[in-house]
Amino acid sequence: MGNQGRIVLANPNCRRVAVSVIFFLLCAWCGFVPSLGAASVEDIALMNRPDRQKILLEGAKKEGKVSWYTTLIVDQVVRPVKDAFEKEYPFLQVEFFRGNAERLVQKMLAEYQAKRYDVDIIDGTVSPTMVRRAGYLQRYYSPMLAEYPAELKDAQGFWGTTNLYFFATGYNTRMVKPNEVPKTYEDLANPRWKGQMMWSTSRGSGAPIFIGTILNAMGMEAGKAYLQKLKAQNIAKTTASNRQVLDLTIAGEYPLALQIFNHHAYISKSAGAPVDWQPHEPVTATIQTIALAKSAAHPHAAMLFLDFAMSEKGQKVFQQSNYLPSHPKVPAKQVDLKPGGGRFKRAHYINPDAQYDKGNEWVDYFNNVFVK
Amino acid sequence: MAKQTSVAYEYSLKSVTGSAARRVFRLGAARHFDAATVVMIAVSLVTAYLVLPPLYSVVQTSLFTTKLTGEIDQFTFRYYENLISELRVVGPFLNTLYFSVGSALLATLLGGAVAWIVTRTDAPLRALGYFTAFASFGTPFILYTIGWLLLLGKAGPVNTWLKVLLDQPGPVVNVYSLFGMIFIESLLWSPFVFLMLAAAFRSMDPSLEEASAACGARVWQTMRRVSLRLMLPAFFSVMLLIFIRSFESFEIPALVGLPGDIRVLTTSIYLDAQKLPPQYGSAGAFSVLLMFVVAATLYLYFRVTREGERFHTITGKGYRPAVIHLGRWRYLAGCGLFFYFLILLVLPFLIILWASLLPFYMQPSFEAIARFTWKNYLTALNFPKITDSIKNSIYLGLGSASAVMALTLFASWLLVRTKMRGRWLLDLLTTMPLLFPGIVMGLAILRFYLFVPIPVYGTLWILLIAFVTRYIPYGIRYTHSGLLQLHKELEEASYVAGASWLHSMRRIVLPLITPSFLGGWIFIFLLSAKELSMSVLLVSPQTPVVSVAIFELWENAQVGELAAFGVIWSVILVSIAVIYYVIARRYGVQQS
Repeated sequence: MGNQGRIVLANPNCRRVAVSVIFFLLCAWCGFVPSLGAASVEDIALMNRPDRQKILLEGAKKEGKVSWYTTLIVDQVVRPVKDAFEKEYPFLQVEFFRGNAERLVQKMLAEYQAKRYDVDIIDGTVSPTMVRRAGYLQRYYSPMLAEYPAELKDAQGFWGTTNLYFFATGYNTRMVKPNEVPKTYEDLANPRWKGQMMWSTSRGSGAPIFIGTILNAMGMEAGKAYLQKLKAQNIAKTTASNRQVLDLTIAGEYPLALQIFNHHAYISKSAGAPVDWQPHEPVTATIQTIALAKSAAHPHAAMLFLDFAMSEKGQKVFQQSNYLPSHPKVPAKQVDLKPGGGRFKRAHYINPDAQYDKGNEWVDYFNNVFVK
Repeated sequence: MAKQTSVAYEYSLKSVTGSAARRVFRLGAARHFDAATVVMIAVSLVTAYLVLPPLYSVVQTSLFTTKLTGEIDQFTFRYYENLISELRVVGPFLNTLYFSVGSALLATLLGGAVAWIVTRTDAPLRALGYFTAFASFGTPFILYTIGWLLLLGKAGPVNTWLKVLLDQPGPVVNVYSLFGMIFIESLLWSPFVFLMLAAAFRSMDPSLEEASAACGARVWQTMRRVSLRLMLPAFFSVMLLIFIRSFESFEIPALVGLPGDIRVLTTSIYLDAQKLPPQYGSAGAFSVLLMFVVAATLYLYFRVTREGERFHTITGKGYRPAVIHLGRWRYLAGCGLFFYFLILLVLPFLIILWASLLPFYMQPSFEAIARFTWKNYLTALNFPKITDSIKNSIYLGLGSASAVMALTLFASWLLVRTKMRGRWLLDLLTTMPLLFPGIVMGLAILRFYLFVPIPVYGTLWILLIAFVTRYIPYGIRYTHSGLLQLHKELEEASYVAGASWLHSMRRIVLPLITPSFLGGWIFIFLLSAKELSMSVLLVSPQTPVVSVAIFELWENAQVGELAAFGVIWSVILVSIAVIYYVIARRYGVQQS
């Protein structure tokens, strides 16, 4: 037996094998395993080489699924995206969990603290930023990002975008004559509308971001002066979502609904409801960002998913679902819902970081000026 | 006169049964000490296990700022200071008081009157009372409120008709007012009052009333001096619960009060909770403060009901109360029931049904009828995993109702029958979950089971644990007031006859408090179908529940889609409740 061992080691080939085995074991022991498919999430996320797609495909086949925590609406867009992606990559299953931003983030953060890595992809207008602040987001590279303008992607690569939201004033066409429709922000301060308007208190899609846009577009002083005038209008507040606010306007409760999604008004109008939307420039816009979890269990599949969601092909799925795609080359299904589509030119994109950092001030301002 | 009679009667009861029976009971208790003690220790431990971790979380939340990750950060009194400065502002504080006292009174009045008519009189349409209570309570909360807002809104049908009727230029009723808040909140709670008081009325000792009547007291005098006094525990229970729930409620103040600029104490807490990173300190501080108020109230209540014998109405003698013949008034009472049915159920349900059939919401008109569509129902039925959600919600309802009632039956027995020192603390412990802010409690349970190696995270079990904890207070109030009515001579007789403690629980106590027990069961079943604030955190992709689906629709869908989903779910819940009622009634009848 000892003899055999000596013979083996005497063979130069065998010696090389032995040395490399020892080297490999050492590397494994150090937690560093090169080129054996056990690359870290970071390596995969930032990979930028010609055979990227091939490596992602191979890895994704082993992973078999991708888990997506989303704030998007399931029957409107989550399912179509899931179906299209699974058609593109039949060996992958998309598992999704839907919730509003706050719950989604709380769930993910609690899971991460317990070292439970259920989530690969997380999206939302502010949820990825929250996760990033907690340190649980992974920067990534996607070839698709190059096609997007700077305001629609993170400079450090923490997030890309899938779709956009534009806010407008919704009005009941039976209660507001065409020549009366308030065209500008100033028009909203017209005493004619005192007690005739309603808006939602929601941080991410209600009065606070309206305030943010005003303070940003008009400057602090002029903005605050304007908001004081608006305060005198006695705008009714509700914790209901802006979709519900719009429905109350359609029902005739309030002629004007401030700060509603323009595509909601469009969808209701198409169904025959007496409603239309009026943009005020600059239009408030928020962006649906999409990001990668730091310890994603299925990083290859997750990267394929991110690529797909931001590709022209994936963006067409958003378009066909009546969402407003963020890809510059993919117009909205109803063209005039996006800037440059004929009804408005300028949009004030609220950066998720700004929404996170400034949001509390806007909420405070709203509570102090409009609630008390 | 009547008062003397009832007091005299009570004392005679006591002296006859008291001393002799007590001796026997002691003997019996000694003999059956083991089984009882084991069960009681288990009940106390389970309750403590369920309630203490979230309690710890609530107190901690109120004293520390939290990091984005949810870890506690710095110690602070800020939340208490804010709360105190908020309390100093007179407006919101008074509004809160008016709102919670008003709701407690109106709901008790409504539910109590209906319960009395249904259980004690010969008015027609009595079965309608139960049906209304079940059905209105089965309607999702948000939808019920929306229904009333649409009905009473500025452009709603009520105002439109009143405008024509009274020849007024503007809207007559303003629903976005303190009155609107109290009105809707009372309607929401009156089924609870009804179920609880109906149980208490049914277990009324007729001999006390008969004694009063024999002494020449009129019906009203008897009611005021005998019947209502005997029901003190039940009345106290419902008023306390509704008062607390209204005092700390966010929903009605946010949806009804806020648009009309009616601020209550919780309004700013609600709006503040939008800040990032999420801070629930204000909500925590608020509930800690409430805990002291409730502890004081419970302590007083405990002292009042310490002489438990005074409330015993179920004795060894026949306890089925006599039906009061109303004569001509019975038709008026029947009309009252019908009116209750109309207001509590028909009107809000009709407007929801109406909304569910329209492509977008329109005020009732012939023009709108032409637009009727099934589209919303198709959308609702297409909701992801709808059958799983329904199945899960029903399982959870069955599980939590049964577990809570079983647990609280024993806990109440401990409170009512034993002379253990400091047992009011157990009462307090079982009432506390009522005061925990749902979101804080949800987070506490989420974290607890992520770290404790009990593999319930992501399963239905974690939801069940959360629900059971949440609904212990309701169970305790139902069983507690039920047991207070039950004279212990019945159990003592059972011990004397050689029955074991468990045996007499099963054969004597349970059957006799069936009305309270079943009332509490169905109430918790229906309540758990609506639970939201914890569910949204605790559900997983594999365990969807209906209330979360409804919340999703509320946040993102059109009124019609929400309404269609709500109609489907209400019909399912009401069918279950009706089947349950039929079975329960048969069971109850057999036992008597």
